[in-house]
Amino acid sequence: MATIPVGATYRTSVSRVARRSYRLVAEIPAIPLAMLAILAFAAVSAPVLAPHSKLDPVKPTPGQCQAKFGMADCPYVDNVPPFWARGGTMDTPLGTDFLGRDVLSRLMHGARISLVVALTGTLFAGAIGTLLGVLAGYLGKWWDQVIMRVTDAWLTLPSLVFAILLSSVRGPGLWNVVVILALVFWSRYSRAVRGEVLALRERDFVRLAEINGIGKLRIIWRHLIPNVMNTVMVLFSLQVGVAVIIEASLSFLGVGVPPPEPSWGLMMAQERDSLMEGKWWLAVLPGICITMLVLSANMLGDWLRVRLDPQLRNR
Amino acid sequence: MRRYILVRALYSLITLWLLVTIIFAMVRLTGDPVLMKAEPGADAVYLAELRRQWGLDRALYWQYASFLGNLLQGNFGHSFEKSLPVRDIYFERLPNSLKLGFAAFIISIVLGVPLGMLSALKVNTWWDNIGKMIALIGLSMPGFFVGMVLIIVFGVELGWLPVLGKGSTIFVWGAPSTWLPFWFRDWPHLIMPAFALGWYFSGAMLRITRSGMLDVMGSDYIKLVRLKGVPERMVVAKHALKNSMIPVLTFAGLNLLIMVNVAVVIEVIFNWPGVGQLLYDGLSNRDFPMVQGVVLMSGLMIVVLNFTIDVLYGYVDPRIRLAR
Amino acid sequence: MYKGTFAVLAVLGLWWAVAWGQSPTSTPKSILAGPLAHVDIKDAKVDAVRGTPRGTLNIGLHFGIDPGWFDPLGYYGPALHFYYLIHDALIKPMPQGEFTYSLAEHVEMTADFTKAAFRLRAGLKFQDGHPLTTADVKWTYENYRGYNVKLFQDKLERIEIVDARTIVFHFKGPFVDFLDLYSGAGSGIGWVLPRHYYEKVGKDGFKARPLGAGPFKFVSQEAGVQASFEAWDEYWRRAPGVRAINVRGIRDLAARMAGLQTGELDLAYGMTGKLLQKVMADPKLRWDPNFTAPWHLMFPGYNEPSSPFHDKRVRQAVSLAINRQFLVRQETHSVGKPWGNWISHENRDALCGDGTELPVPLHDPAKAKQLLAEAGYPNGFDFDWYVPFVPYFDMAERVLTDLRAVGIRSKVQMLDAPAYMAQTSKGRKGFPGNRTIVQRIDPRPGGAKALIRIYAVCGGPASYICEPQIEALWAKHEASIDLAERDRLSKEIQRLIVEEYYLVPLYLNPFVHAVTPKVLPEGDAVRHYWDTVNAPFPWPWEVWEVKG
Repeated sequence: MATIPVGATYRTSVSRVARRSYRLVAEIPAIPLAMLAILAFAAVSAPVLAPHSKLDPVKPTPGQCQAKFGMADCPYVDNVPPFWARGGTMDTPLGTDFLGRDVLSRLMHGARISLVVALTGTLFAGAIGTLLGVLAGYLGKWWDQVIMRVTDAWLTLPSLVFAILLSSVRGPGLWNVVVILALVFWSRYSRAVRGEVLALRERDFVRLAEINGIGKLRIIWRHLIPNVMNTVMVLFSLQVGVAVIIEASLSFLGVGVPPPEPSWGLMMAQERDSLMEGKWWLAVLPGICITMLVLSANMLGDWLRVRLDPQLRNR
Repeated sequence: MRRYILVRALYSLITLWLLVTIIFAMVRLTGDPVLMKAEPGADAVYLAELRRQWGLDRALYWQYASFLGNLLQGNFGHSFEKSLPVRDIYFERLPNSLKLGFAAFIISIVLGVPLGMLSALKVNTWWDNIGKMIALIGLSMPGFFVGMVLIIVFGVELGWLPVLGKGSTIFVWGAPSTWLPFWFRDWPHLIMPAFALGWYFSGAMLRITRSGMLDVMGSDYIKLVRLKGVPERMVVAKHALKNSMIPVLTFAGLNLLIMVNVAVVIEVIFNWPGVGQLLYDGLSNRDFPMVQGVVLMSGLMIVVLNFTIDVLYGYVDPRIRLAR
Repeated sequence: MYKGTFAVLAVLGLWWAVAWGQSPTSTPKSILAGPLAHVDIKDAKVDAVRGTPRGTLNIGLHFGIDPGWFDPLGYYGPALHFYYLIHDALIKPMPQGEFTYSLAEHVEMTADFTKAAFRLRAGLKFQDGHPLTTADVKWTYENYRGYNVKLFQDKLERIEIVDARTIVFHFKGPFVDFLDLYSGAGSGIGWVLPRHYYEKVGKDGFKARPLGAGPFKFVSQEAGVQASFEAWDEYWRRAPGVRAINVRGIRDLAARMAGLQTGELDLAYGMTGKLLQKVMADPKLRWDPNFTAPWHLMFPGYNEPSSPFHDKRVRQAVSLAINRQFLVRQETHSVGKPWGNWISHENRDALCGDGTELPVPLHDPAKAKQLLAEAGYPNGFDFDWYVPFVPYFDMAERVLTDLRAVGIRSKVQMLDAPAYMAQTSKGRKGFPGNRTIVQRIDPRPGGAKALIRIYAVCGGPASYICEPQIEALWAKHEASIDLAERDRLSKEIQRLIVEEYYLVPLYLNPFVHAVTPKVLPEGDAVRHYWDTVNAPFPWPWEVWEVKG
């Protein structure tokens, strides 16, 4: 126990971080990365590449109006089927929704909402949770008692229920959903991080730093937080998937991102009744998008878990 | 050991008290239930009367005190929206949730555990990958998406399974019964919601079985058993399985509680009259006592389970009880 | 042979008893002295031959069931659906007319509207066999706590019980609207409750096991999920047509549709939106458009100068921007009707908005843009929220799309139903900003004046309108006891509101019900159940019949 164990960072230098992140990137499995890349690309390029507006109906051709309504002119044509079905056009490859809006464009813009909400929400949750976990684990005593008891109580609250409750306090809105996700999920991090810190506290490099009279804040910042980052990253990647599902469920239950913004969960909720009419793609396509995003997040999370946890490396 | 149990019990009580307090404060931030129940045109007199009836006219600390006092007597108060005691409604709904929860629980175990074992025994083979994929897909699909797809395919297109609620009441010697027709006629109502709920949890079960199995298979104990020349099948069936099931069962227990108490989305989609729907109704109607009651009951179950696990672990592993 | 003679005698005896029991109604004795007001109350249709109830009717309600609705002393709203099942009122809306004799066989009101008298039918009973008397009527009035309770209490001087069948209400001043409000649809106060039972079981006991004088006896319930009722053969008007009624709360439209298709439901409400077309296309289902009331837009805080809607031209532009014809086509498959008033034509003193009395509003985006430019918004403007009526969120997006086309942009505030109700019943305080549009519909029975009182006058419970001109007309209306003058004033207010665009009507909403082939009679005649004035639901329940 006298030597500093392998894998523990005494000081985290910039070059080391860079090297480590390069290794990480080089080894990321291809399938989830590709899926994520597609979704991220769609999200980033939506304002430029989306063929139509996310909010306004697609201007119909006179032929479409004639076929659908028997009118020479109409504001929009709703429920145009996707290109593979009869009556579909390549102008709107995935068809239009009940308001004649292009489904493909809405899905691309929806990727923006899901990614932004899930990533920022999880990030905030991670920041709050990590900080509290480190404080509880390192300062101990009353800090530990208070933070951990609140964490325990928080963990017994079912997450979706808590999210619905918070949303009826905060009202609808994109940033409110972010706040809700942060408030609901921080407890997951604080629990895990505290356990980690309890072990780190006893390690020599922390002891040494304490003996050398380095301040508590500095120890937390320079020694503890860098060393719990592995755990936090694993948790983060797994939580992003859960956050996407919670965001979609909130939208589905009508308390998430307000329409007409295209959130995937909302698109599914709005087209739920279309299922009964056989227009399954309207509800299923956003569902597939959600599944793809969560699946790739989960696969990355699994991979990270194995990669960052030396005990699991060979499994 | 006694000290350890006492400390754990104290922690559990504090957790419960915090839970109750958080939920008490939270519901009160969501709005005024009196106005929500009122029609436009309702008189101030009528609103004041409602407010008095529901005890919302008194100071907050007083409401809190009487709420805690009632809780200690096992009284959850009166539902605002459903006008009946919360306890009665809760226990009327609980059997439905238990049915759904247990069915989903069985599905999650039947799907998750064998696949998890298979993928642990054949690490890094196709079996492993297929198992992992099933787990991950289950975890990646929102419950409402699975529910919707099931409804289209089996309910609407194929028409094999009923989609609406839990079946109807029949009368047995003049008394309404939902149990009897359920087991004879209405059990198909359970299939789709239970599957939609169970699949999600089967993913988690698969994961935990897999890593538990891997832990055990790599342990010195199993190596020793192998050295003794016990056939591999026996190693797995008798020794590894037994030892890897403890974390799996703990986890499964927690999942069961979650499935029973907060299957909100699935119950809403399938119109299943369980506790989760009660909670959702309560939330959207600002039915404070109902939300408090249901969340408290689910919290109570989870806390009691955690306490039991802690105590059992304390017995099994002395290091744990000495650590704190 | 012997038996047969006996049966014939029994039927004859029964017929005689019914005929004899009816005869007093034909020669009503006056109860009150002095000149009487003209009251237009239709006679009940009492069936001479009592049939036998048969079969079960399964109803899919579009919201969860609240046991509080079984108790008329509580409050009012969707509860009427259940009042018509379990309870009975002295007078209530029926297919025969908006005021139809029910428990009462004779009603009088003095010409100065200070006294009202009721005579009950002979031999009335509650479902447990206990006689129903004027003491129960008095007790119900005095213990009522629901909608309009303050008005009822303030106006009342005393209640005089003349005998077990005759009761007189004395008021402190003229109470012109008394019959409107006391009638079954106006509030819960007119539904007579069994005092002996209510006092025995208490408020909660009553909600758990209600008892009344209506055609159906309560059997069992699972709070919020379903409630079962059974025919009460001794109901005074006729024996109910169906043996049992099960009501289930199913909030999800698709689930109700599936229930109709699988035969788990026989009657379902609110079959609108995306599935209306499917209902129409299904050869097995029959449906009724059931026009309830017009949708309209409200502008909370429009009268504050900082609001963009302060300018009449902007409100007019909102109206001109909306393509009602296309909206109706998309939202209701052209069943709904573009409408020029915000009150249903079925309300007594309402102006008809189909072009006869008030014009159907035009669709003219170019003019709308021009008006916006004149008002100082050449590029349009953003407002905070569009608040749709729950759960008509699709329609909200359709309206917003029309508005965006002329440059008025916003997003949808999806509230849940209770939050919407709460915010709209707080009046001006419910929506703090003044850049909000609220969509509203209120299918409320009674006169248009009831709606004006709530939505259009200063300080009305859900009113955003406070205009001196309307206030003056309304004050005159309230002071008058001349019914014709009141009608004229009410209509003048309605016209003013539409012409000044204080409220912008959209279209008359069809609240579609659908039934399966199990419901009798076959063919389109099924609609005849549903013509009770202003009724969103197809009562009375005792006339429903099903196969099997």
